[in-house]
Amino acid sequence: MEKLKQNPIVKKLGLNRILLVGILILMFAVFKVVLGSKFPVGDSIKSTLNYVYFLGFLSLGVTFVIATGGIDFSIGPVMFCCALVSGYCMTSYGVPCAVAMVLCVLIGLCFGTFNGWLVSYMSVPPFIVSMASMNIAKGLASVFTKTQSVSWPLSSDPVNGWFRNIVSVNGFPVGILIFLTVAVICGIVLYRTKPGRYILCLGSNSEAVRLSGVNTRKWRMLAYMICGSLVGIAALFFVATYTTVQPGYGDQYNNEAIAGCVMGGTSMVGGLASIGGTVIGVFIISLLQQGIMAFGLGKGQQMIITGIIVIVAVYADVSARRRKN
Amino acid sequence: MTKKKKSILSDQRFIVLLVVIALTAIFSFMSKEFRQYNTMLSLLDFSYYDLLMAIGVTFPLITGGVDLSIGTGMVCYALIGGTLIRSHGMPVIVAMLVCVLLGVLIGTLNGVLIGVMNLPPFLATLCTCMITRGAGSLCTATPWPGLTQEGGWFHSIFKLTIGTGRSADRYPIGFLWMVILVLLMEFVLNHTKFGRYTIAIGSNKEAAALSGINVKFYHVMVYVVCGLFTGLAAIAYAAVTPTVQPGTGAGLEMDAIGGVFVGGVAATGGYGSVLGTFVGIFVIMLLKTGLPYIGLQANWQQIITGLVLIVAVLIDIIKEKKAAAL
Amino acid sequence: MGEVILTMKDIDKSFPGVHALDHVNFEVKRGEVHALMGENGAGKSTLMKVLTGIYQKDSGSIVYKGKETEFHNTREAQDAGVVIVHQELNMVGDLTVAQNIFIGREPKKGFRIDDKKMIEESKKLFQELNIEIDPREKMHNLTVGKQQMCEIAKAISHKAEVIIFDEPSAALTEKEIADLFVIIRDLREKGLGIVYISHRMDEIKVITDRVTVMRDGGYVGTLITKDSTKEDIINMMVGRVIYEDPKQHSMVAPDAPVVLKVEHLNAGKMVQDVSFELRKGEILGFSGLMGAGRTETARALFGADPKQSGKISVMGKDGQLREVTINSPQDAVKYGIGYLSEDRRRYGCVVQKSCIENTTLATMEQFTKGFLIDSAKEKEVTEKYIKELATKTPTADQLVVNLSGGNQQKVVIAKWLTRDSDILIFDEPTRGIDVGAKNEIYKLMNKLAAEGKSIIMISSEMTEVLRMSDRIIIMCEGKVTGNIDISEATQENIMDKATRSID
Repeated sequence: MEKLKQNPIVKKLGLNRILLVGILILMFAVFKVVLGSKFPVGDSIKSTLNYVYFLGFLSLGVTFVIATGGIDFSIGPVMFCCALVSGYCMTSYGVPCAVAMVLCVLIGLCFGTFNGWLVSYMSVPPFIVSMASMNIAKGLASVFTKTQSVSWPLSSDPVNGWFRNIVSVNGFPVGILIFLTVAVICGIVLYRTKPGRYILCLGSNSEAVRLSGVNTRKWRMLAYMICGSLVGIAALFFVATYTTVQPGYGDQYNNEAIAGCVMGGTSMVGGLASIGGTVIGVFIISLLQQGIMAFGLGKGQQMIITGIIVIVAVYADVSARRRKN
Repeated sequence: MTKKKKSILSDQRFIVLLVVIALTAIFSFMSKEFRQYNTMLSLLDFSYYDLLMAIGVTFPLITGGVDLSIGTGMVCYALIGGTLIRSHGMPVIVAMLVCVLLGVLIGTLNGVLIGVMNLPPFLATLCTCMITRGAGSLCTATPWPGLTQEGGWFHSIFKLTIGTGRSADRYPIGFLWMVILVLLMEFVLNHTKFGRYTIAIGSNKEAAALSGINVKFYHVMVYVVCGLFTGLAAIAYAAVTPTVQPGTGAGLEMDAIGGVFVGGVAATGGYGSVLGTFVGIFVIMLLKTGLPYIGLQANWQQIITGLVLIVAVLIDIIKEKKAAAL
Repeated sequence: MGEVILTMKDIDKSFPGVHALDHVNFEVKRGEVHALMGENGAGKSTLMKVLTGIYQKDSGSIVYKGKETEFHNTREAQDAGVVIVHQELNMVGDLTVAQNIFIGREPKKGFRIDDKKMIEESKKLFQELNIEIDPREKMHNLTVGKQQMCEIAKAISHKAEVIIFDEPSAALTEKEIADLFVIIRDLREKGLGIVYISHRMDEIKVITDRVTVMRDGGYVGTLITKDSTKEDIINMMVGRVIYEDPKQHSMVAPDAPVVLKVEHLNAGKMVQDVSFELRKGEILGFSGLMGAGRTETARALFGADPKQSGKISVMGKDGQLREVTINSPQDAVKYGIGYLSEDRRRYGCVVQKSCIENTTLATMEQFTKGFLIDSAKEKEVTEKYIKELATKTPTADQLVVNLSGGNQQKVVIAKWLTRDSDILIFDEPTRGIDVGAKNEIYKLMNKLAAEGKSIIMISSEMTEVLRMSDRIIIMCEGKVTGNIDISEATQENIMDKATRSID
């Protein structure tokens, strides 16, 4: 094992990430073997990808927040709020689709800015901010849509159907390209730019960074803003694959997004984040959801299993850190 | 040595009480329906489960933690209890006991995850929130017995009905139990070891541990107590909800937690009061019940609860800052 | 002095990678105050933690009141009468004084805690100690000194027979220390065994009967206080004499311009009407006892804490002194001020990050090319400073947490040098740094001053102040009580000013 860890290729990729990919492949194989024809390869990959799209953006977003040592579990309801409000504008007020899409991301950005401002400038604990903005997002979406569900245009829609091209064009999964591109950009921002450096450092020791003359409040807020924008994009991919959104929901995706992130090796204490890990983590969570459904189990079991996974992943992180100290 | 008596006006609980009175006055003034006895009765009726959850979650919040699983947990226990009655022919009293036991069980789980395994409270309870929600949605929608059905007696715990039909007299005796429970838990918080160590954990956990207190045990107990009250809340919830729906309950914890913060618990722990929670929850309940009467959608309440939560916490933070600057 | 109450013999304790205690011997008699001395990391605290059950010994024996004993936790030690008054106060701020004193063993009346009894008992305790504290007051409303008294009251209420004071005077004012000594003498009269851990030689001479010295986890020896001199004790502590000749005269040119002028700075209780000037190439020592307000002055000046009033002028790159507004560390850094905190792990560096990331933390914009960070340049600059400052690290990528204290300090220095800060505030520059590395840091500071940097050096070590400073500002209780040139400075006149507040 030690020898394996010292291998330059393994070192470069990270042992954890290799293990995670292994788990991913193994899971797929097990599902296929056990379920047989109930788990058709093509369809399963397609539905997994559909899940990866929106969940991936949520996870990438929350990775930035967790890197600062904070948390945001309003992302699921905020995603629904974005899709609902902008979708309602399109269907009921005749706002053009392109504008609605921009609006969708902007709403996410607004929530992110609001959360970030409260956390960094007003020193409100992140979990309280999350609870509050979760409620506000749900309430806002319900009030705005008068508690009706909203359906985004289908691909057969002659005017606005084009927006589905973000997910697939003639069966080609464009979505995966967009997702991976955004993930790479996120990675570059986090590891290779000034804001990313500051976000990681302040997650590790905020006071030392502040005393170096860095405006920690600004950069902390930026992390929440990045998260908010990515949540807005996630909303677009959600409606582009699942069409309809209902007000009052979205909580369960919080957990799944955080699960993907923590599983990938991002530490809840802050300062340590892995975009690559998050991407693989998201694939695992998404595949798991498909597997659970193929087993004939429902949303209930999905939630229970995801809950347990997060507990295990976080506990692994906590105890690994304790051993180090 | 005599200490200056603090002005009652500087007590947040008193101010919140004034807010409760003011809100009641405004809604009563603006809406004729609101001031009717039946409206008030149902307002109280629907406040019990929120209040029970809030009493419970006051303790984790004082330790600087939180329990996000109370809403979905409550619904989950009520569903399981209902299933036992409907599908397994269990008497209502057994279902009630099961609710409380399940509450204690999940509370213990939360406590162990947080107090022993050192997981961040919001994350651990976010997971148990999902788990209880998932477990709840495995049940089918089940009504508990109605008032006139066999086993319907449990409704009388909260609302005593004398006579039948429209002419029946109804008394909100549940309110009496709530007052008793609030006073009891206020006593527990201020005059027992459990309460004192809850505050100590929230204020300075290391110091508490170095004083020889079994911090882990009391930290777990905090969540057990919270779970116990969630179990009780499940009974109150079943009493007012004709058919408990699987998969619901997410967001209900917000009303309870919001109420506690309005009641003046410190954002970072170390201070709180059950009496404060008691008045705080009525602010939330009045908004929830009252807004439709003045022509606003019920969903406005969600937005307002969110904003109220932030304002309540901000007030606390600003007060702290001022105190620190002195 | 009476019979021996506690004997620790051949105590051995190892942690992974560290031999923390190497066959240490220690004994306490009834009615004596026994000092335990040694430099940072000598093993004093570890020894006391083994005694009070926080750590378990690997080998050796503890004989308490004639019986071989081993405590498994602080509770057992307390119950047996061995109590520690901690250096960092272990108080629950949101509980009252009485509640804190009886925490963990509240008297009960049925289910409820008997608060009345607790308050009465506390009052009795305070009477016994001759202190005036209201037991109903919330702990966080008391001054640090009063909190310390509460800790002592708590210790006594445990029917303690051995009380360990772990640097009790660190946060106390002169008056409070005097009060403390009255109490300690009183306890000694009553036949308690007292262990007194402190760095302050003067206190040791005044209050203790015997001194045991530890060095690098080992036992060095025990002396009778009144038969030994300061130098004897110091020699035992360091193993060799570190008293290097103090600076005789200022190295600053008489016509050196003023680069920083602080006038009437006020920030809370700890910084009252502080004024001083710093000249180019000068090392300005800030001396005073713990809690004199030196760190607070530095933090207020640097914008790390809010200030109420005051005028700060800084020399710009054009050589003009002009007034500036500093409301945050950002502002201070912009005007060329750098701050090196005494607590490096908390305020100095991001220990979980690499040397590179720490070196460039204050100067990110110098290392960006477009949007991206120029890692090659980062590495080059970091390696340049590693060489220049002789930082001992295998690579520039090493995490700072893996470096020793002295090398961590060098990384922080590199951070400010990268920034080209002209004014550097060193807060306890050599705290927690071993003797060899100390000298390197001193050399480095002298070199920086010679190159034209101006340095404010806050130090609690008299030798350090006398060796390094060109001029010395002395503070006491938040006020400047002295400003003397090195040529006139003596240990005595500095101490005199440091203990005398002017009203």
